[in-house]
Amino acid sequence: MNRLSYIGARLVKTVLITIAVVLLSFFLVRLAPGDTATVMAGQGGFADEAFMKSLRAEYGLDQPVLVQLWKYISAVAGGDLGNSFVRRQPVLDVILERLPNTLLLNAFALLVAVAGGVLMGMAAARRPGSTTDASMTVLSMIFYAMPQFWLGMMAMLVFSVWLGWLPPFGLETMGADYTGLARLGDIAVHMILPGVTLALYFMASYARLTRTAMIEVADQDFVKTARAKGIGEGQVARRHILRNALVPLITFAGLQSAILVGGSVLVENVFSWPGVGTLAYEAVTTRDNPLLLGIFIVTAVLVSLFNLVTDIAYSIADPRVEQGR
Amino acid sequence: MEPLIAIKDLIVSLPPGADRAHAVDGVSLSILPNEILCIVGESGSGKSLTAHAIMRLLPRGVTASSGEILFEGTDVLRLSPSAMRKLRGAGVAMIFQDPMAALNPVVTIGKQITEQIRAHRAVSEKDALEQASSLLAEMGLKEPKALLKSFPHQLSGGQRQRVMIAMALSLSPKLLIADEPTTALDVTTQAQILKLIKRIQAERQMSVLFITHDFGVVADMADRVAVMRHGRVVEEGSVSDVLGDPKHSYTRALIAAVPRGESMLQPVAQDAPLLSVKDLAKNFRRGGFFSGASAVKAVDRVSLTLSRGETLGIVGESGSGKSTLARCVIRLLDPDAGEMLFDGADIAHMGERQLRPLRRRIQMVFQDPFSSLNPRQTVGEIVIAGPRAYGEDMKEARSRAADILRLVGLNPETMHRFPHEFSGGQRQRIGLARALMLKPDILIADEPVSALDVTVQAQVLKLLDDVRQQMNLAMLFITHDMRVAAQVCHRVMVMRHGQVVESGPTREVFAAPSSEYTRSLLAAIPGRGKLASV
Amino acid sequence: MKDFLRVFFSRPIPLVGLVIFAVIVALALLAPLLFGRGPFIIVGMPLLPPGAPGLLAGSDVLGRDMAVGLAYGARISLLVGITSTLCAVGIGVLLGAVAGYYGGWLDDLLMRVTEFFQIIPSFVLLMVLVAFLQPSLSSTVIGIALVTWPQVARVVRGEFLSLRGREFVQAARTLGMRDARIIFTQVLPNALPPIIVVGSMMVGSAILTESALSFLGLGDPNLLSWGSMIGGSRSAMWVAWWTTVLPGLAIMITVLALNFIGDGLNDALNPRRRR
Repeated sequence: MNRLSYIGARLVKTVLITIAVVLLSFFLVRLAPGDTATVMAGQGGFADEAFMKSLRAEYGLDQPVLVQLWKYISAVAGGDLGNSFVRRQPVLDVILERLPNTLLLNAFALLVAVAGGVLMGMAAARRPGSTTDASMTVLSMIFYAMPQFWLGMMAMLVFSVWLGWLPPFGLETMGADYTGLARLGDIAVHMILPGVTLALYFMASYARLTRTAMIEVADQDFVKTARAKGIGEGQVARRHILRNALVPLITFAGLQSAILVGGSVLVENVFSWPGVGTLAYEAVTTRDNPLLLGIFIVTAVLVSLFNLVTDIAYSIADPRVEQGR
Repeated sequence: MEPLIAIKDLIVSLPPGADRAHAVDGVSLSILPNEILCIVGESGSGKSLTAHAIMRLLPRGVTASSGEILFEGTDVLRLSPSAMRKLRGAGVAMIFQDPMAALNPVVTIGKQITEQIRAHRAVSEKDALEQASSLLAEMGLKEPKALLKSFPHQLSGGQRQRVMIAMALSLSPKLLIADEPTTALDVTTQAQILKLIKRIQAERQMSVLFITHDFGVVADMADRVAVMRHGRVVEEGSVSDVLGDPKHSYTRALIAAVPRGESMLQPVAQDAPLLSVKDLAKNFRRGGFFSGASAVKAVDRVSLTLSRGETLGIVGESGSGKSTLARCVIRLLDPDAGEMLFDGADIAHMGERQLRPLRRRIQMVFQDPFSSLNPRQTVGEIVIAGPRAYGEDMKEARSRAADILRLVGLNPETMHRFPHEFSGGQRQRIGLARALMLKPDILIADEPVSALDVTVQAQVLKLLDDVRQQMNLAMLFITHDMRVAAQVCHRVMVMRHGQVVESGPTREVFAAPSSEYTRSLLAAIPGRGKLASV
Repeated sequence: MKDFLRVFFSRPIPLVGLVIFAVIVALALLAPLLFGRGPFIIVGMPLLPPGAPGLLAGSDVLGRDMAVGLAYGARISLLVGITSTLCAVGIGVLLGAVAGYYGGWLDDLLMRVTEFFQIIPSFVLLMVLVAFLQPSLSSTVIGIALVTWPQVARVVRGEFLSLRGREFVQAARTLGMRDARIIFTQVLPNALPPIIVVGSMMVGSAILTESALSFLGLGDPNLLSWGSMIGGSRSAMWVAWWTTVLPGLAIMITVLALNFIGDGLNDALNPRRRR
């Protein structure tokens, strides 16, 4: 029963966050100079009188703020994130078209980051203070300090330009028209550079977190008890140390996904990966404000949902979780 | 008779940078089959590390650098890791102090028991669970089948310790090592666990190595006892010999320091009480947004009076509300209902403004010597902080501080030092000095000696009593230890679940308790009657 | 204080970090003196490699002096990094202290807000903010400060909450000290170490964020920063590696130095020997 009410509480929280995101967007528009219609029309639409008129009506700019707010919320709830004048398409459609590519890239990066990070962290934790440990710490510090976009460019320089091992741009080879398995393989090869670049920063944090968690857990009394029971070291490491150390990592993955999206914007741009990140960049350069705002809303909601999933996973992993906060 | 365990000249070294080179400095002991040996000592005596050395479970950086530990003739310290693993849990088993920390929080109880059984025997999970179930029943736990599916945090402290003991016994070891297994438990639970250990020892005819700091427990449990100090065995022998005729001065001091549960004090006249509390109530809300918020009655209509020159003891186990009561009296918490008349004025619901001038007259000494002093202030700054807050002149405050520090037995020259440079007992003295600087009428002592070693405890208790007499204070003494209450309190009040269960002059309450609960508290006192009167 | 300095300087890493950071600060401060004509002046042919006459670091896509650009870029990075962190820390300490010490609905509210900022993608939000406020130095600083103060507030709130429950703070209340006095003399000195450590790490991440923004073209269009140098060199990267590699190295070395300092501060301020 505890778990059910916990999940219920988290669901409510996700809904509240979504509402807060929409509210925030509503007020963000008001930040910009000019009225809402000007902002939402962006650079292109400004000139078109008819368009401006329809926008003003749509946003109800002559009506009190609360009515405008209500119009906005109901629009978003219905899936209407406005229209991109630049592209002459509904914003949501534009985003949904590119979304799968971003999801693919981010999922891959998250997997690589978690797997690589946990393995590195475990190796470092096995012998704290050793050369393995120290070199891992230094390595993570270096990756932490690198701008992600620059790292991507360096990787491109080394692996595409100088070594020629991996393709530098895009989702798949242009004009090749692969199908089926060959197409998947092609996409996979293109995904390696941007995916690993995106993953490296997070691998560093996962490695550090795993290392700290494992060292702290290893010092706890119940690990001593496990040894006192005559259990083999392997089982102690797996069922007792790792099992407990991994618990905070689950929540961490959820929180990291928010930063992952930001990194994705940069990495996608460097590698011309046709995802939401490059879309955001295009929105900035063409002053396509509805699109930019729409991207914010969509990514925020998605990350929030992912956090819901990780929190539920956490409640399964850690039986001590009570309902509420 | 061949000893089960023979420790010869054991030396356990600490990592470089520790305050001493060896935690255990040449210890030789033996444990015979079918006996209970207690190792008793204060903190830093090396008793716990000696026990850990037998299991080769020393912490990182700490090593058994020399000596032998023979288990049935084989030197445990020279065994291969796999041979040692086979011995652990099967030949020798160990239970630890804090059962909550000693159980894996994310694995079920059943799994934790079966993994031990299956690490040593080729048994199916089903059969292992059966064994686990009967073990739990043997330990006196109800509904063992349900317990197997539970997680540690769902059990009480006493239940958890029984689970630990069940696990330890699952493979019928020849030796059970118990490292302060009851120190973290309530006194009534402690009594039950001690009885349990004695029973299983007799039933299974195994040996028990029992580590403790409490000579009362020694009197109850031990066949033989070894006293340790600074890593060495100071005295050893049968319990009757050591208790009846202790040879070493340290042993004598340890035994003398244990508070006897016998009260010598006469109650003080209650004609003009300084503090009069009536029907005080304090509730806490439990549960978050989505649970049914239930109110916990931490203090449930409690009344008391306190007069100058007396010490009123408030005794109870954890969750009894005694600390909450103390914090309400000193207005660290705001009571929900009731009145507290202090010198005529009702301070229970007084606003902060009005309360301020009265605050200085009620002061508190806290429990934890390590967190009750600001680590970033010097002792001098800590002690004069109170008077300074009331606008007293710096020079004046400093000179008074010197006097007060002398009064509590500290050298005023050390005023410029920081708290971490002092021992636990000294820090409690500093806390007392801080409280006395404001010349209070009432001093509340919230478990002031619970965190101290027993010899230091005796000194601080004496100091508190002396100070109370000298400054004609009224003292409210909170404790969970009936023996301590008997030593310093004129009157005593027993609390349980937020309510007063019994109160009266200490001698009377101890001699003829009227409530069942008080009787069980008194019965639970370890070593009652077995330690000779000083 | 003596203890702190001793531990801080006992390891090589914080020392190295401090030296490197000092060099970069010096470079930033002296830039106008050394390179008085500013980074936008065209000095020669574009894409000349480092070592070409008069060009220590080569020239960029438009023929501007890379070395001058790097020096002026340092000014921007440090300015944005330090200012935005100071703002974020200011807001965060204020709100976190009040929430942590007084608790109640204030604390609940703050917790919700910090959780919200933790969950939403803050970089995208930052992009929206800067785009809507029109890209400039001030919008960058304000944007970064607005997006990062919740981190500080969370740490401060945690510290204040735990310290409020410590017995010596309770003792201060029983001694009759007023709240303000307690906060300043008892709580704050003990809460300061983690705040300092978080602050030093935040300067580094603020610099990284600023570079990301200017890489995407959301930085101040009138100022040259390391990020914009990298962004502007994208087309030339394949033939003139120095236009990309050098500014990136500059960012990395600066942030690394700051992280080293932060690591040293963490060790020196950590009361591990507290027995």
